[in-house]
Amino acid sequence: LGACRVSLSMTEIRAGFTAIKANIQSRDPIRTLSILSHPQSLHKVKSPDRCCITHHLFTFYVDKVFKHCRTEDSFVNRKISSIANSFLSARRKLGQCHEQNNCACGEKSTEKIKQILENYEGLNVTSAAMKSLGELDILLDWMEKSR
Amino acid sequence: SGELYCSLPNPRNVHFESINMKNVLHWSAPEGTGDGVLYKVKYAVYGVGKWIRKPECRNINRTWCDLSSETSDYEEQYYASVKAFLNGTCSDWVETTRFNPLTDTKIDPPMVSVSSTDKSISIVLTAPEKWKRSPEEESIPLLQVYPGLEYNVSVLNKKTKKRWFFSIKNNTLVVPWLEPGTAYCVSAQIHITTPVLDSSFSKEHCIATLKDK
Amino acid sequence: GDDLLPAPQSVSIFSTNMKHFLTWSPVIVQGATVRYSVEFQGEYEREHANGSWIPISECSFTAATVCNITEDISASVAYKMRVRAELGSRRSPWQTMKGYFNRITTSLTPPLLSVIADGYHLLVELTDMGPAFQFRVLYWKKGKESMVQQKVTNEVSSVVHLDTMESGAEYCVKAQTHVEAINRSSSFSPTQCVRAQGDSSVWL
Repeated sequence: LGACRVSLSMTEIRAGFTAIKANIQSRDPIRTLSILSHPQSLHKVKSPDRCCITHHLFTFYVDKVFKHCRTEDSFVNRKISSIANSFLSARRKLGQCHEQNNCACGEKSTEKIKQILENYEGLNVTSAAMKSLGELDILLDWMEKSR
Repeated sequence: SGELYCSLPNPRNVHFESINMKNVLHWSAPEGTGDGVLYKVKYAVYGVGKWIRKPECRNINRTWCDLSSETSDYEEQYYASVKAFLNGTCSDWVETTRFNPLTDTKIDPPMVSVSSTDKSISIVLTAPEKWKRSPEEESIPLLQVYPGLEYNVSVLNKKTKKRWFFSIKNNTLVVPWLEPGTAYCVSAQIHITTPVLDSSFSKEHCIATLKDK
Repeated sequence: GDDLLPAPQSVSIFSTNMKHFLTWSPVIVQGATVRYSVEFQGEYEREHANGSWIPISECSFTAATVCNITEDISASVAYKMRVRAELGSRRSPWQTMKGYFNRITTSLTPPLLSVIADGYHLLVELTDMGPAFQFRVLYWKKGKESMVQQKVTNEVSSVVHLDTMESGAEYCVKAQTHVEAINRSSSFSPTQCVRAQGDSSVWL
């Protein structure tokens, strides 16, 4: 992630999300809005300070998203717990980069993070959380593409 | 024009079938309807505010529609939807699940070409290209789409029936020190590590090492 | 009352090669089958979800005194587990394990492998240990211990080709497992040596 040299194993997060992707995305009826990709796809953000965006997005998911995604389905809840705890572990590793000042935030990424939070606040919390969870593959694709 | 009262049963199993990012929408006819059903198709880029009609798939009687061109940006995700018409009535729009071209496509096996000397075989693998609109359009190798692309190669000694496995990152492999005058069969698979995507193994290509001089 | 059942004791976790099992002592009630339910709590649940607990459905109302918790212990954070006994409508208090469990403490055993010489080719067959495992295979020509070569693979269903060997020479191989998710490796397997076909004195 730029100057931040941290090994994040996305495989388990990806497997956990793939197992519940159809279930979670079916709970999001809003086709015409995106949390991560509005107005511009996360992929289009060619920001040098990828560590900053990754760290802020992991914090966004841990602090705001997962807790509002409880479902009536025990299997889905267990997978969400697995992803949430993996995010916690990964964020801790990214935190090391913060301490070593390898995770600076430029103007572009600060703007993108601000936009994401605005998109999130624009919906009621449960819809916003479920939509954000359903967009996890957008984050994973972006992280894995630019490794 | 206002929509008619829609009492027709819905199209069923509306889904994308994607190979090397050639993304084709497929569906089954509404239950209990014979011939004469017509369909129209629309699609949407996820997160963008509008549905877009596909003119080439308006009032069609086939049950597929090629949306490769409309879904070629694999950094976006998509929905598609189908509506059926028969004898003045219609069905509801029926949507796909969210389609992510990057993770929801299938990858064809690589092309395998093999040559031999008396003691070795040389294998050259060619990965399929991403779908493109026309032969003139610039090709996008899958390696550019999936930086983690590797090849698994299986080499079978037809005499001893022993099979060896190789995992390689570049697309060529030379297996030296083989037995002269022996048939070897090679098949290969594309293995993508992130996201996890594997092609099937190619059909076997057999070749014999030359007889000892 | 409902709480008369005693809580299960000796709640502990056994973890080897990234397979994690929770075990406890049985609660004995003469002439009756006591059943048990298991719940887990990750660091996320403790710090961000009001200390909530999540049931493991495969181990709900189970008569066994062991539960495979591998699927749920899927992050490298500190987990807590708890068990209670159930008999009809009667429940015991929850018994929570002492301390925490983090999968990074799993014990890793060396891989089982068989080394094969097929003509001039050095090959190895590895035993499947699960999707989390990679294998780091070291091999060298006997007598040339300073020139060790390495191959990393996760292929377990086929014979993996390592290299070609010089005619008649002896080659040695050893391997260790590596788990990327916890960034740890096992100790090495015993070394196995095999000899290439042909006469070592004649250089082809």
